[in-house]
Amino acid sequence: MSQTKIVGTSVPRVDGLEKVTGAALYTGDLKFPRMLYAEVVRSPHAHAKVLAVRVDKALKVPGVRAVATGRDFPFHTGIYMRDQTIFAIDRVRFVGDPVAALAAETPEAAHEAAQLVEVDYEPLPAILDVVEGIKPGAPLVHPDLGKYYVESFITPKPGTNICNHLKVRKGDYEGALAKCAHVFENTFTVPQVQHVPMEPHISVARVDLSGKVEVHTSAQSPFTVRHLLCHCFNLPHGDVEVVVPTVGGGFGGKAGINLEPIAVALAMKAPGRPVRVAATRAEEFYATVVRQGLTATLVTGVDKKNKVQAQKMYYLWDCGGYGGYGVNVVRAAGYTCGGAYHFPNVWGDSIGVYTNKPVGSAYRGFGMQEIHWALEQQMDRVAHELRIDPVEFRLLNCLGPKKTTVTGQLLEKSSGRVDKCIEKVDEVLKLRARGKKKPFHGKGIACAVKAPAMPNNAASSVIMKFAEDEMLEILISGIDIGQGLATVAAQYAAEALDLPMERIRVRMRPRTDFSPYDWQTVASRQTWATGNAVLRGCEDLKRQLFEVGAQALGAPVSRLELKDRKVIDKKTKKSVPLAAIVVGYQFPDGHTIGGPVATSAHHVPDGLLFLHPETSQCSKPVAKWTFGAQGVELTVDPETGNLRIERLVACYDVGKVVNPGLIKGQTFGGIVQGVGTGVMEELVIDGKDGRPRNASLMDYKIPTALDIPDKMEAFYVETPQLDGPLGARGIGEHTMIPTPAAIANALYDACGIRIDSMPITAEKVLKALKEKQRREKEGEDVQPAAASVAKVRPPARATRREAGRERPGGVRARRGRAK
Amino acid sequence: MLLPRFEYRAARTVGEALTLWAEQPGARFMAGGTDLIAQMRTRRKVSRVVDIKQIPELNQIRESEDGGVAIGAAVALSALCEHPRVRERYPALVECACQVGAYALRNRATLAGNLCNASPAADTAVALLALEAKVVATNMDRSRVIPVEEFFLGPGKSALEEGELVTEIVLPARSAGFQGSYHRQSRRRGMDLASVAVLVAKGGEGAPRYRVGLVSVAPTPLRVRAAEELMEREGPSAIARAAEAARLACSPITDARASAEYRREMVGVLTARGLAALA
Repeated sequence: MSQTKIVGTSVPRVDGLEKVTGAALYTGDLKFPRMLYAEVVRSPHAHAKVLAVRVDKALKVPGVRAVATGRDFPFHTGIYMRDQTIFAIDRVRFVGDPVAALAAETPEAAHEAAQLVEVDYEPLPAILDVVEGIKPGAPLVHPDLGKYYVESFITPKPGTNICNHLKVRKGDYEGALAKCAHVFENTFTVPQVQHVPMEPHISVARVDLSGKVEVHTSAQSPFTVRHLLCHCFNLPHGDVEVVVPTVGGGFGGKAGINLEPIAVALAMKAPGRPVRVAATRAEEFYATVVRQGLTATLVTGVDKKNKVQAQKMYYLWDCGGYGGYGVNVVRAAGYTCGGAYHFPNVWGDSIGVYTNKPVGSAYRGFGMQEIHWALEQQMDRVAHELRIDPVEFRLLNCLGPKKTTVTGQLLEKSSGRVDKCIEKVDEVLKLRARGKKKPFHGKGIACAVKAPAMPNNAASSVIMKFAEDEMLEILISGIDIGQGLATVAAQYAAEALDLPMERIRVRMRPRTDFSPYDWQTVASRQTWATGNAVLRGCEDLKRQLFEVGAQALGAPVSRLELKDRKVIDKKTKKSVPLAAIVVGYQFPDGHTIGGPVATSAHHVPDGLLFLHPETSQCSKPVAKWTFGAQGVELTVDPETGNLRIERLVACYDVGKVVNPGLIKGQTFGGIVQGVGTGVMEELVIDGKDGRPRNASLMDYKIPTALDIPDKMEAFYVETPQLDGPLGARGIGEHTMIPTPAAIANALYDACGIRIDSMPITAEKVLKALKEKQRREKEGEDVQPAAASVAKVRPPARATRREAGRERPGGVRARRGRAK
Repeated sequence: MLLPRFEYRAARTVGEALTLWAEQPGARFMAGGTDLIAQMRTRRKVSRVVDIKQIPELNQIRESEDGGVAIGAAVALSALCEHPRVRERYPALVECACQVGAYALRNRATLAGNLCNASPAADTAVALLALEAKVVATNMDRSRVIPVEEFFLGPGKSALEEGELVTEIVLPARSAGFQGSYHRQSRRRGMDLASVAVLVAKGGEGAPRYRVGLVSVAPTPLRVRAAEELMEREGPSAIARAAEAARLACSPITDARASAEYRREMVGVLTARGLAALA
């Protein structure tokens, strides 16, 4: 399809009206007869043995109907690694780890009873820092690591706190580094942050007297919830139904499985009674899931022509108490460890470390914002130290057609163009062609890349059927969490079948009993996967319509076209309206052919291969890449450290803009979330007792309307993705990936300071500025990048050989050695 | 967090409010409730909430006997901020009051409540200090007037005695016309407690009078007379020294919002900015 009528236009959201009128029902709106309310008893210790759990007093509270503890349900769960039980059995691993739960007639009774559950703990030394956690002899968070079920592509190291370790070995890193004219090493950190969806996690479960389980839940993936519940409780999939009403924001936090097993466990203890488990806002912060923290050390070796020849990446991920989902963030960060750059020789380690902190999981970007915080500042630093323009340096070293990724995948013309995105941002912000620089005013850029992180067989499917009035109904099980999936699915069908948007209804509150299978709404994969399935389904609907239309019109199928809600014979111009076909065509004499027109269709990624277990080399590890770049223009208040982001320019190669209004919303939303994590968000976990210090919206801040950049601009490159629906590829997560690094780079441009630890708070900026002034006053030889607030390491005495030796933390301190 | 059980009673007169309080141990008066209810969820035990919002006389903004303005304890901050006479005569108070929370919250929250909560971070408290306001408090036996300067004793602690109800806050005539310049540093621009804030006010007949108040840098909101006197004596040339005086006067702590060092530093910067804006 070269010209499109509906795909590519800003049709309004199909779910807009129900949301603005309040008609849309969320899980919390559902009131079931005889519903019980639950309260979860959670660990106050970061790490402790559970010696005894006594519930007798709690059970005496009037109105209490059920209690569940670890010993009642000794079942493991987790999406990629089954390392977690529903309730802790003999050990708690973070402050907030569930130990028991109660269900009562009122929330008050459940709350009162929860206070009466007595748990005997024996505190254990807690791991509250990844660097401590990876040291030999560190206390083990999971002594039974070797016994867990683990997906084949996850490689934990039993006997350590490492829950996954992905190695990338490309070319001859060591040899190439030895030949490099310049070598740079820096370390960057990212704290744990939380998703802060408007709607906290909530699940309602009921087990009826025949044993059938029904779960209504605020989740991103009904089928994965069902699949994991069935595994956990050893139930047939046919006896568990998962229903997902309207969801008030997910951002990855509602991927996989969350509160559902707790709700089901309680429901099993109170047969026939629906049980509602709802996270409070405080629990949302520390007891559901968070984004993992990262400590990243990078070594970059550059030749005399300013080309990076050797690149080492050492990523330590703070996975928290359980790694069920987070281990795959570790993996994705490994096979994407070089970001948007072509590095001929690579030594990459992405290591997930168990700690006694909140549980890491998926979060918009799936590890990419974190690694880009390191990578994009590193590239910027190197460019400045080499006195080459950061835009030039990026263009010289970025990925593109005929370049290879860190896994050795050869990119093609259709893989997307980061160089075009860089050039667009440069053109709009005038990064290179700038005039005289104002003091404390700066501009910076950062690139981004991400692939969908999913199993190679992650599938989406749709069911499409016509109602009697030829209204097309599309059943999807992807969840519209604000990204606009329902609208986009309708647009594809409208385009393919030449239907007006108002003749399409997307059924977007899936029930697994009736809805088509979909793996998960994650990985920025829905437009691509569901879009492809819809297009494929439309082909089949068309075939069915033509089959009947051909007989009705007495014309061969080859002469037919579908247009204006009619099947038309192109030669005779005779036509038959769809309404006369969609439930069967009746001839004038009364006899009927055909029948209700319906179909199902699916999409599964094509030709994905496993990574090599030792080197991660692989010609096609992921379905697609989306590249982009963001540029920031800001001013710094040198007295307070406050930043004012005046302009934020984004450009992404999305293959095809399906809906300009929606994609702009996605982009601006991602930018705002990126600004939030970039300058203000951090879940503070006490370094001594592991307790959250800011688990409330009073103490944990996300941006308000007053905090967004003064001006945001979005641009798109459209290099068609060959297997994308009309060329489209994913964009949802990518929009927040480069933002913090772009802000950091603009900050450096403005005043010559580097903040290596996210977020860039005013206080850190002021401290770094003062440190810089102090150094300048003391007349130190301050190279621009050496003004960093991070620990500036001494020149290395390490030999070149050592740089490549395989050992954790095996990166030595050198900077600007060959200057 | 669940709100624990409590009894709710709405009073129609000040007398009834005092009686409702007295007959039930553990009762609390409630104006807007924006602080009280949040505290009841987590730490404060209250058996009975005595709502004063429906008492007509406490919902008034009126001319006081000395020619100033008296603000009833149940007047919402948004009503205060929009009141023509208050806007005209006490712009410094309006400037601070419109920084509290968000608009929706200000439709509920009150000046008296903000004061009684006795938070060192209270935006309006610093304006009341600077404007030398007086608090009228009543119990079963008597009414008394407490100068705001003597009202704050520490975080969450005020000079109010058990059973005393604040009925109104009086802004004196002599503080009318003071222009305010409120400089606030917070982790984000909208809806955040001040990490540190400085109010500078300037007014008076003839020779300018200055007022300097600090927020979130001491156990109570703080007025810095040394800085004021420097400015009054020496004029704009004393800005740097007045800012230094403010820096020395504060005693900040480190918490989730900012470090003590940063707060102290900001007191100097923001005081200088406030003074420069009004000089």
